[in-house]
Amino acid sequence: MKKKALGAIAVAAAATLALSACSGGSSQASSTGDAKGEISYWLWDSNQLPAYQQCADDFHKANPNITVKVTQTGWDDYWTNITNGFVAGNGPDVFTDHLSKYGDFIKNGQLLSLDDAVKNDNVDLNQYNKGLADLWVGKDGKRYGLPKDWDTVGLFYNKDMISKAGITADQMGSLAWNPQDGGTFEKTIAHLTVDKNGKRGDEAGFDKNNVAVYGLGLAGSGSGNGQTEWSWLTGTTGWTHTDKNPWGTHYNYDDKKFQDTIAWFNGLINKGYMPKLETTVGASMPDTFGAGKAAINANGDWEIGQYLGYKGINVGIAPTPTGPDGKRASMYNGLADSINAGTKNPAAATKWVEYLASPACQDVVASKAVVFPAISEATDKAAAAFKAKGVDVTPFTQQVKDNTTFLFPITENAAKVDGIMKPAMDSVFSGKSPASSLTDANNQVNALFQ
Amino acid sequence: MTTLTKPARRRRSLNWGRISAWAALTVAIIITIGPFLWMLRTALSNNHALASQSSNLLPADFTWGAFARVFGLQSQAQAQAEGGSGASINFWQYLGNSLIVSTMITFSQVFFSAMAAYAFARLQWPGRDKVFAMFLGTLLVPGIFTALPNFLLVKNLGLLNTYLGIALPSMLMTPFAVFFLRQFFLGMSREVEEAAMLDGARHSRIFFQIALPNASAPIATLCLLTFIAAWNDYFWPLLVGNSPAVRVLTVGLGVFKSQSPQGAPDWSGLMAATLVSALPILLLFIAFGKKIVNSIGFSGIK
Amino acid sequence: MATTSLGTRKPSRREADSGGPKRVSRRRNIGDLRVALFFVAPAVLGFVLFYLLPTIRGIYLSFTDYSILGNPVWVGLKNYLKIFQDKLFWNAMGVTLEYVLLNIGFQTVIALGLALLMYHVAKSTLIRGILLLPYLVANVIVALLWFWMLDYQIGIFNQMLQWLGIPRVAFFGNEFWSIPTIAFVNIWRHMGYTALLIFAGLQTIPKQLYEVANLDGASPWQTFWKITMPLLRPVLLLVMVVTITGSFQIFDTVAVTTQGGPVNASRVIQYYIYQRAFSEQDFGYGSALSVILFIILAVVAFLQMKFLRGNENDLD
Repeated sequence: MKKKALGAIAVAAAATLALSACSGGSSQASSTGDAKGEISYWLWDSNQLPAYQQCADDFHKANPNITVKVTQTGWDDYWTNITNGFVAGNGPDVFTDHLSKYGDFIKNGQLLSLDDAVKNDNVDLNQYNKGLADLWVGKDGKRYGLPKDWDTVGLFYNKDMISKAGITADQMGSLAWNPQDGGTFEKTIAHLTVDKNGKRGDEAGFDKNNVAVYGLGLAGSGSGNGQTEWSWLTGTTGWTHTDKNPWGTHYNYDDKKFQDTIAWFNGLINKGYMPKLETTVGASMPDTFGAGKAAINANGDWEIGQYLGYKGINVGIAPTPTGPDGKRASMYNGLADSINAGTKNPAAATKWVEYLASPACQDVVASKAVVFPAISEATDKAAAAFKAKGVDVTPFTQQVKDNTTFLFPITENAAKVDGIMKPAMDSVFSGKSPASSLTDANNQVNALFQ
Repeated sequence: MTTLTKPARRRRSLNWGRISAWAALTVAIIITIGPFLWMLRTALSNNHALASQSSNLLPADFTWGAFARVFGLQSQAQAQAEGGSGASINFWQYLGNSLIVSTMITFSQVFFSAMAAYAFARLQWPGRDKVFAMFLGTLLVPGIFTALPNFLLVKNLGLLNTYLGIALPSMLMTPFAVFFLRQFFLGMSREVEEAAMLDGARHSRIFFQIALPNASAPIATLCLLTFIAAWNDYFWPLLVGNSPAVRVLTVGLGVFKSQSPQGAPDWSGLMAATLVSALPILLLFIAFGKKIVNSIGFSGIK
Repeated sequence: MATTSLGTRKPSRREADSGGPKRVSRRRNIGDLRVALFFVAPAVLGFVLFYLLPTIRGIYLSFTDYSILGNPVWVGLKNYLKIFQDKLFWNAMGVTLEYVLLNIGFQTVIALGLALLMYHVAKSTLIRGILLLPYLVANVIVALLWFWMLDYQIGIFNQMLQWLGIPRVAFFGNEFWSIPTIAFVNIWRHMGYTALLIFAGLQTIPKQLYEVANLDGASPWQTFWKITMPLLRPVLLLVMVVTITGSFQIFDTVAVTTQGGPVNASRVIQYYIYQRAFSEQDFGYGSALSVILFIILAVVAFLQMKFLRGNENDLD
């Protein structure tokens, strides 16, 4: 998760205050009581605003006593506003929550737990795709969110480039990778790389210092998480970020499986198949893909709209390659809606959260074909809606169906881990240190949990 | 170069000096203007076409769409079709808020700073130089450091999401403003002041009737600089004034930055927003520019 | 702080010589204290509320272990002792120093050149106004704009380099180039503004001095060093104090572009403080870093005053 520091500073600043201003102790949300009045709901993705506005309108029709005011703010400022709202007491009643943030919110007693509501109103936690509901249970064993959507990682590729290279869509869909020689995945990447003179990466005389099109794009070193950068490779080796998830207390960056994968991945840069790390600081990876500078990009499904939007680029989507164990892997991240503990209208807020997590709303979201709702049936509906728009999203949904996903690693000290791992991974990716140097970084990381 | 005005026998070398001077100036102007032209080009482009036409010097798929987005005139669907942020913007309200906040800050900061500067420059009192040194010392305090307690203070005063809350921390003084005006007042003609003194004028009258009018040029300059700084401030107004009723333009136009993590900003929207929000200052500058640029008298700095 | 010598000495001495009205009234001990208090009251209030108290609070917190969760715990000098072994701190200081030297060095010379051009050649308000344009754009936006234009793969600037047959440069991503690039971006925004301040100072130099110098047959070079520079010193002092202290506060540009990378190459001190205090929620340590930074800046300012002798302009 790339942090935008500017927003983050305000968030952090406000968090500080929030912490000193509010005292802990979790309270329970419940829909019993007088559910009426106006409540506010915040989200960050403008692409999803129309869907949720419709949910709010439908909800109002069903519950004429409650009006929901939906506000959207871009990611950078969203968290600033959320935390400021906690402090100032004018935050939203209900908001879209993220796994990387909610641990802190729980610690400060800023969320209402939903266990009573789930029990009283018989919310079926099994209707969601497997694992999503579990992500939102805090260290204290209480539930702080109801799942709304999920994301996985896939390969976006330039159709014109692969057909020119004589590679079929089927071949793209059945790539195999291993950390020793990279398998057919590396061969494909090499073949798709073209230098200034038109020589391909697997041809003699390929000039790796003057590459026109890279086989694989690079967004960055991925810090300690690597969600879209390399986690879909390390995940196939049996390696996991932490000893257990969620709330692990030991990181595994010293593992040979991990370091071998990183070494191989880094090797793509040296071979000229992937851009140098230093060249990735600037425009976003999708934009360089849109400029025709890369043939394949690994990215999350939330970027589908971005990739399909580029003028003059024919985009195909393939699943991530299979690994040494013959299976694919993708990090599985989910969002949820949470209730601000400071809400003045917990009853209405609870009703709204339950509505957001219900098939009624998630089907509406599915029909807009922007993200994948958390409810299994709604996911299928979203896939169908994407299909109607001419996009086959099987590469993303397949990972969930085949159970080849692993959950977003949730631990404490996330910011400190990032502070250590970002420079360490940058150093490896820029060729300054060998992958084995990550053992030292791992020791520093694990010292945080002593 | 200082001899430009003079003798004929130097004409040859003088011309060379002039030519190189103009050459240097031209380079400076190109470097200054170039990025603005690129801003304009980007603002007139379709966001979806920007990447693929990165080497096209003309707008990529020309459209006024980005400007329409800035003024909140584009529908969600249209905006998304052009790769822009879909959020609608209440442009005129944010503009009004920016004007109110910036004006509040500018007038009261310059006025109070001028008072303090006058006391530091023209009055004799024990501890004067020590207090002034402390004022200057605040230039050295890391900015990150003070944002936090200040937010808390504004919150405790119940001023969150009010114009006053946004403006207050910079309304009473900034070290730069005090420093700037003090340097000017130091050089104010002593004779006039003493004559007024002998007439029995008090310091308040000298300040209002002699010092301030005399300093009109630097005060105008300072007003402009303060206004620009207030107009462009982002972090503080975001922190204390995010409710739509008091949201200023810089914060409001933040929607053009990335919508999602790892997403790209709405470049054309961002650039159009930047151009549009710089426009009021530009107008201000055109209105008062001549006076300010040409007579920014620091005649006082001695 | 040596700021007391900033120009005050001369007028006050003159005042003593000429025997001002205050002297006559024999109230020298408290002077104009009462009226002065009235004049400085609002500014002092602002100073105390929004600068002094936060600073004092920060100094207190620098002696505590304050994870932001819970209450600060007094730990004495622990944070300060830790700083001396903190390689990243010293790295950050080095990086910041590099930035300040590049930024101030180039900016001052360029701004001085532009100011001279404004003064002697470009008399049109339009041209002077154009040079001020970059300052009208917020620095976060300026940073984003250059981030976009200097991108390695699709930035227009690298495209132009390629047209000229020059290899592309990873301006923000390369360890060597990141700090010079960030310095340049800020020079771009501030050069016209700084030039305008210096230009204002140029206007205060009596024209007769140039005429005399000219009659004496002084070369432009001599005139510049013998007349312009000495007389410009007070303005240059103001400009230098403001720009150098501002330069040490570099944060925004780093935050929206490199975020300290690659590796630690652009992790300037303010960004490092921000990371430790806010991202990693070690507020006590961040405060201690801030205090050390403050002390270093104060020493720099002190030396600057001494060195530039800003209180004398050699005129009289």
